[in-house]
Amino acid sequence: MSASLSIRAVDKIYHPRGRSSVHAVNALSMDVGRGEIVALLGSSGCGKTSTLRMVAGFEEVSAGAIALADRRVERLAPAARNVAMAFEGYSLYPPLTVRENIAFALKRGRLSGSDVARRVQQMAALVEIESILDRYPNSISGGQQQRASLARALVRDADLYVLDEPMGQLEPQLRAVLRGRLKRLLKDRAMTSIFVTHDQTEANALADRIAVMEGGVLQQFANQHDLKERPANLYVATFIGEPPMNVFDAAVVRTGDRTTFELDHGPSFGFGDNEFGPEVRQAIGNRRKIVIGVRPHRVALGGGCGETARVVSNQWLGDQSHVAMAVAGKLMVVVSHVRVRATIGESVPYGVRAQDLHLFDPQTTLALAHGVRAA
Amino acid sequence: MAQIEVRNLRKSFKDDAVLKGLSLNVDKGEIVALFGPSGTGKTVLLRLLAGVYAPDGGTIDLRGRDASGTPPEKRGIGMAFQNFALFPHMTARDNIASALTARKADAAEIARKVDAVARLLKISHVLNHSPRELSNGQKQRTALARALVAEPDILLLDDPLRNVDAKLRYEMRLELPALLKRAGSTVLYVTQDFKEAMALGDRIAVLLDGEIAQCDTPARIYAEPASIGVARLFGDPTLNLVEVEPRMVDGVPEILVGGALIRLPASYAAAAGGNYMLGLRPESLHLVDGAPPGTIAVDLVAVTPLNEKSVLLFTMEDGNELLASEAGDREVPRCTGPSRLALDLDAVLLFDRACGRRFIPADNMGARL
Repeated sequence: MSASLSIRAVDKIYHPRGRSSVHAVNALSMDVGRGEIVALLGSSGCGKTSTLRMVAGFEEVSAGAIALADRRVERLAPAARNVAMAFEGYSLYPPLTVRENIAFALKRGRLSGSDVARRVQQMAALVEIESILDRYPNSISGGQQQRASLARALVRDADLYVLDEPMGQLEPQLRAVLRGRLKRLLKDRAMTSIFVTHDQTEANALADRIAVMEGGVLQQFANQHDLKERPANLYVATFIGEPPMNVFDAAVVRTGDRTTFELDHGPSFGFGDNEFGPEVRQAIGNRRKIVIGVRPHRVALGGGCGETARVVSNQWLGDQSHVAMAVAGKLMVVVSHVRVRATIGESVPYGVRAQDLHLFDPQTTLALAHGVRAA
Repeated sequence: MAQIEVRNLRKSFKDDAVLKGLSLNVDKGEIVALFGPSGTGKTVLLRLLAGVYAPDGGTIDLRGRDASGTPPEKRGIGMAFQNFALFPHMTARDNIASALTARKADAAEIARKVDAVARLLKISHVLNHSPRELSNGQKQRTALARALVAEPDILLLDDPLRNVDAKLRYEMRLELPALLKRAGSTVLYVTQDFKEAMALGDRIAVLLDGEIAQCDTPARIYAEPASIGVARLFGDPTLNLVEVEPRMVDGVPEILVGGALIRLPASYAAAAGGNYMLGLRPESLHLVDGAPPGTIAVDLVAVTPLNEKSVLLFTMEDGNELLASEAGDREVPRCTGPSRLALDLDAVLLFDRACGRRFIPADNMGARL
């Protein structure tokens, strides 16, 4: 049975020789529930891999505590933590066959030979490597090595499963199916898991919650719905989502019972007090400048919407249209799962509804309101 | 009129036949995306067009004239290749301008053009850097800028966005077509990304096994792929494939999918008695309530969100797996377990299991002939 994971005020500071020190992970605190799947997501150098390696025991913490259930582990050697890890660099033992590599992880347990064989077979089927079980690591492809490494981590019973870019090398066709099978396995057996990825598609597909990191700092730790609908700040808003949120600088103008956002060198979006509740007006306060955001899937295209904009590009990808419009000297991207027929150069009506608007403070970059609720 | 006309082009390296009689036309002002898996010879074709390699057989006409014997520098082709090929001792600005200075253009005019193209490709801030100070994505865009600034009438681009980070790559994907159209160039654009091919190409030429497997508009290639090989290259996730043997029951063609009998439109009658692979795009499968006839009994294994879609993994009664996807705003069940799937008969694809070619239903035949 897996355990919960608790990370408390963890720091990682590297001191490279002859250069100034690097604060790779800064005061990180987060809790992962028993049986929960969590992704550490961010661009390269954001601190996600350092975090993962500290949890698994391959890096020492500079400060802070890591616990599995009630057991403090941050000073323990990797082998003493009861953590199963799949490395991005595969790290299979070259003199052992794939089968022996996977079974090796079970050797210390008290399983019978037939139980070991059954478990290896089951995991090999899940990641589709049954046909190469008796081959050696150097004779199989990178994608197969990655799957073998994943099987080796998942086959044993551990308090925590730590996966480093678990599907980075796999071809897209296999990836979609493997994601589904892996998620089912982790959920069925309530295996507490934490994995690193730079690919938000991967994070969304597998994780219950996603920890977005940047500059060594945890930006937001939430489920994917909240990351999209309630991003904590402009970094998260413009990082999450494919494509990410459209954001524009705007001036706030208050007249009578209306609040209007005037985009710099662009259109204005006005909302009556019946659309925007007092909560949002209070969040705006007496700010003169604001950043407004709207997600590409929420821009309404078509008749009677108010503003019009010139279409710069319109691309149909088989199951969705991506339309870019020139708005305030930038592009506003619109995504529709119904095919959009607009031609390039054409002016199309569009609108942004109050419930789809996100407001941010331009100085702090923190979110002020999402739709009709304060942040 | 075809600006690029390739007939029966063959090229081998030692015993490895890369191009096996490839034919392709690109019209004036058209953007054709040359798309296929890695190692299929896309770059080889570009190099043959540029004159870097000589073909073993076949002809290349550029602007209606046979190009054989014309050296690369006299072909009047703009190129941006994957290895960047920037001059290491020059700044990014001078690298881009080198395409113009060779023609003795006016200095102010050159500066204006370089600034304009740099702004479009978002490298204005690094124009004074030397290539070794640029990231790979910036090098790539500098090479692209150098190819674009001279406004060549034929432009060959070899995966120019390959090293660009995802966010910028997406923006460039939106903006590049307009940029290329404004220049009026005839473009052959190599990519390994199906979304990029669909977004950028007026037409997509799918290169498989040394030949063009299909060359058509993005929408047609997606909806009416010529073969199973072409179909599998498009879609995220890609299409499901199920072996079927259509047969006639009471005058209606029927197939058995995961234990469910599914009646196909009458236009599939000629497929009866053959061995086919049924291709189902994930977005053409839908969860249904109850158990209406012609729906497939499935077990929902997992829901894995993908961008604004939800991807659902099912197992059918025969143990085979199916992937379905639902667009973001649709309600998707969160609980796994038994359910039923209906398939959108308009989106059904049948492929001959022996040769891989798509079966063309009878009602489409008339339109084709």
